[in-house]
Amino acid sequence: MLQYIAPATGLLFTLENILWINIGVFIGSVFAAIPGLSVILCVILFLPVTYSMTAIPGMMFLLGIYCAGGYGGSVSAILINTPGTPHAAATMLDGHPLSERGRTKAALKIALYASTFGGISSALMLLFLGPQVARVAAQLGTAEYFMVCVFGLTIIAGVSGKSMIKGLISACLGLLISCVGSDPMTSYDRFTFGISRLYLGLDLAVCLIGLFALVEIMSKAEKRLDRLNLDTTQIKDDGIITKEEYKRMARPMLLSSLIGVMVGIIPGTGASEASWFSYNTAKNMSKHPEEFGHGSVEGIAAAEAANNAVTGATLIPLLTLGIPGDGTVAIMLSALMINGLNPGLTLFTTQGNIMYAIMLGLILVNIFMLLQGKFLTRLFAKVVSIPQEILTPIIVIFCFAGAYSVNENFFDVGVALIFGMLAWILRKLELPPVPILLGLVLGSMTETNFRRALLISNGNPKIFFSSVYCIIFLVLILLAVGTIVRGKMKERSTQKEA
Amino acid sequence: MKQWVEQFNGRMDAWGRKLHEKEIRIPIDLVTGLAFAIFALAILLVMPDQVAISEKDVVNGRAFPTLLMMVMLLCCAMLIGKELYKLATKQPLNWKVINIQVEAKALAILGILLGTYFLSKWTGLFVVGAVFCCLGFLLYFRCRKKSYYVITLVIAVAIWAAFRFVLGVEF
Amino acid sequence: MKKRILSIALVVAMCVTLLAGCGQKSATWKVTCPWAPSGVAAMVSQQAATKSTSYSDTITLVAEAIKGDAATVNTWVADTKANDTELVFVGEGLLSITSILDPAKMQFGYEDFVFVENLYSSIFVLSADAKLNIDSVADLEAYVKQGTEISVAVNGATSSEAFLAAALFGSMGAGNQLKLTPYQSAAEAAQAVARGETQFAVSHQSQILETYQQKGATIVCAFDEGNIENGPFAGVEGVGQHGYPYFRNRCFVMARAGTDEKKVAELKELYGKILADAEVVEWLQNTMLLEVDTMSVADVEAHVENVKSIVNSYKDIVAG
Repeated sequence: MLQYIAPATGLLFTLENILWINIGVFIGSVFAAIPGLSVILCVILFLPVTYSMTAIPGMMFLLGIYCAGGYGGSVSAILINTPGTPHAAATMLDGHPLSERGRTKAALKIALYASTFGGISSALMLLFLGPQVARVAAQLGTAEYFMVCVFGLTIIAGVSGKSMIKGLISACLGLLISCVGSDPMTSYDRFTFGISRLYLGLDLAVCLIGLFALVEIMSKAEKRLDRLNLDTTQIKDDGIITKEEYKRMARPMLLSSLIGVMVGIIPGTGASEASWFSYNTAKNMSKHPEEFGHGSVEGIAAAEAANNAVTGATLIPLLTLGIPGDGTVAIMLSALMINGLNPGLTLFTTQGNIMYAIMLGLILVNIFMLLQGKFLTRLFAKVVSIPQEILTPIIVIFCFAGAYSVNENFFDVGVALIFGMLAWILRKLELPPVPILLGLVLGSMTETNFRRALLISNGNPKIFFSSVYCIIFLVLILLAVGTIVRGKMKERSTQKEA
Repeated sequence: MKQWVEQFNGRMDAWGRKLHEKEIRIPIDLVTGLAFAIFALAILLVMPDQVAISEKDVVNGRAFPTLLMMVMLLCCAMLIGKELYKLATKQPLNWKVINIQVEAKALAILGILLGTYFLSKWTGLFVVGAVFCCLGFLLYFRCRKKSYYVITLVIAVAIWAAFRFVLGVEF
Repeated sequence: MKKRILSIALVVAMCVTLLAGCGQKSATWKVTCPWAPSGVAAMVSQQAATKSTSYSDTITLVAEAIKGDAATVNTWVADTKANDTELVFVGEGLLSITSILDPAKMQFGYEDFVFVENLYSSIFVLSADAKLNIDSVADLEAYVKQGTEISVAVNGATSSEAFLAAALFGSMGAGNQLKLTPYQSAAEAAQAVARGETQFAVSHQSQILETYQQKGATIVCAFDEGNIENGPFAGVEGVGQHGYPYFRNRCFVMARAGTDEKKVAELKELYGKILADAEVVEWLQNTMLLEVDTMSVADVEAHVENVKSIVNSYKDIVAG
């Protein structure tokens, strides 16, 4: 490894690379901060720009977008209670309440510091442990993946709000929606009701625009206009984070970075799972669990550190095995291959200089994200002072444009609208929307691995307990469920006592 | 014009005040349980038509959605059971108050969203829908500042142009 | 504050208008690839688009990937008319497989297009779990004769890979022993064989290369007439010489039916120049492990019919 560091540093520290990192970070922050415009959409839109570049600046530009997207999503989550990206939904739970308490700048700063910490931890992990950890991840088979999914689904219990039963109903709905489209195992249509466009399934980004952004627009009906326009004194806070708060942030940040890295390494999982799982873990381990959902600094730090810790980790299976950790990274694969870089362990030896330059570059990306974030924090804080009369139609236009851009189709805009209406009804029925999101994210992966594992074992369910990894995940599932149920029972008894 | 707007707003205010007093109380858990139980049963009913299977499949395409709907039915049964038990033991049910004015306002917003969607789709020009959206919301918020109309319309056109000409999204 | 917002908004609008007003000298042809942006076809299309400005002053190719397969092509056909500056990729998956297995998904036919060029052809390979020690057709035939279950990892339940596996094992008389295990991507399928989840996998050469180099899998044969001639798999036997059915994976660039013949010829000529570019040829061969394969209309029709006949013969094994 050491023999590559010096030449890689030389390749990395050029004016061109630094310029592209900064352009990428800026674009990523802006796109992710605007609800409805996802990071994946941004990478798709800007991918062609990289084809005329060489490997390092091209990857630096895309990594800039990718990493800043992890942080940018939290900006709108904190400022307007709408996650800019799906993985910022967990940040929203505490970020917005803290902002409403008049500490907008502090909330944004916590998110930025936690994101940078998570991102740099992940980049270091990629640099030092990449090839080794990837070897272990590569051993996870279909049955193990199913156990990973079930582990992911246990989070539902933690995000169900007041009623776990209602959370489960929402999750079932989300999982059912993920079944719409072509059956991944047989290619037969499912629940398409004769609409040919539905056989592709419903795009996650489009569904989320409806579930989280458009419903937020409809919720303006619940508030008076004078209450919609935020009190400007709220954004004039000094942004100071106390020593005590830094201390409280430290543990969840460290733990969430580790969780983010672990989740990111497992292909198919992503920042959303990492942030929810970390949020839940931080809540269970906190001395002040009652603050979660009401502006907890630990909550923001946990969610943000985790979703940025995923960024470097998703690159581990990509660079070592050619298996993208998530959808956005899958697109980056083509940026690598167009430059003649075939992912794999051999790449670390034959093109070691370029590989290490890219991995070191990820650290640089996070540093520039921190620097730009400091500037953007002030810039984005101004978003809240824009009157709602102006902001509301602008958000709607971005949501519609974002939904349309996914597949350049008005059908998707219609789907987003339907999901907006569905979310409104669910809101009235007091059903939480977050388990739907989890269902949508994990649905296809859970079902596919479940059915494929049984296909491999000819229907024998013993396959789910057949390896050490399966047992480890089973133990983790039991531990997670136990911890959540215990927490809920504790919460209930505290409420009764009160 | 100004007088007409004042008149219109006055009428809307009076209507709003009337609607504001109208409320519907629903036993929310009972309704949720029943609604989703019906939904789950409907899905199970349409399953044979909507999901084709092959005899070769070890676990076919209906297995997972069926499992989900069973879990949903179980959850609904628990919700309904809990509420019925409360009824039997004369404990207060979980009630939710639905304000008609809020719902009417939500419908107006939905109308703007639908108008934006259909105008964009029918004309094939997103910018037309975007302009309608801006005007719709500014009128909804009863905005009287001309500068806001100018700013919002300029930004709306700029967003469309940025997507259309810079990012190459054709709409 | 208001003034500031107003001025920013106006500056943004002016910039956008300026950008929008930038004139374009040559006609821009948008090439829609209906598969994943990280897929082989999208990458080749992107490479061709990048090179287009070096070889033509009148045509600029712009690559776009909108995954969706038949649905994307349905939209493309519905939205375009003759002489529109739009091109689309169509492969044997749509023209020969979907058209037989699920014609309702397709709101188009071969007659809706006019062929421009085929950019590449890819020879699929059959790989085996390294523990099985199978690296030739003879070894495979001996293994099949044992009569045990044969599991093959493929990318998608009714993909080209699934039909190639069905055709090979079906023609060996082992159709009943065959269990196709579909994966979400070719890379996943290649990993499955290395982990021992399946005994075999069918994939593009580039997708199994890493697993092969890590000694997780052996390469049994190639789905082609003769042996593979170039690259790391040079010398691997083609199944055609043993009398087994095969086809190569091809993706045709199509214009809308009725497009001016001169324009089509101009586009074909441009693609010809791009595909003759030494850098492109080297990239296709060494990185993507593909072959430049320009074709005529007759070649295309023959390819489509060949795959159709294989699909008709083995659809019972694949679709059940």
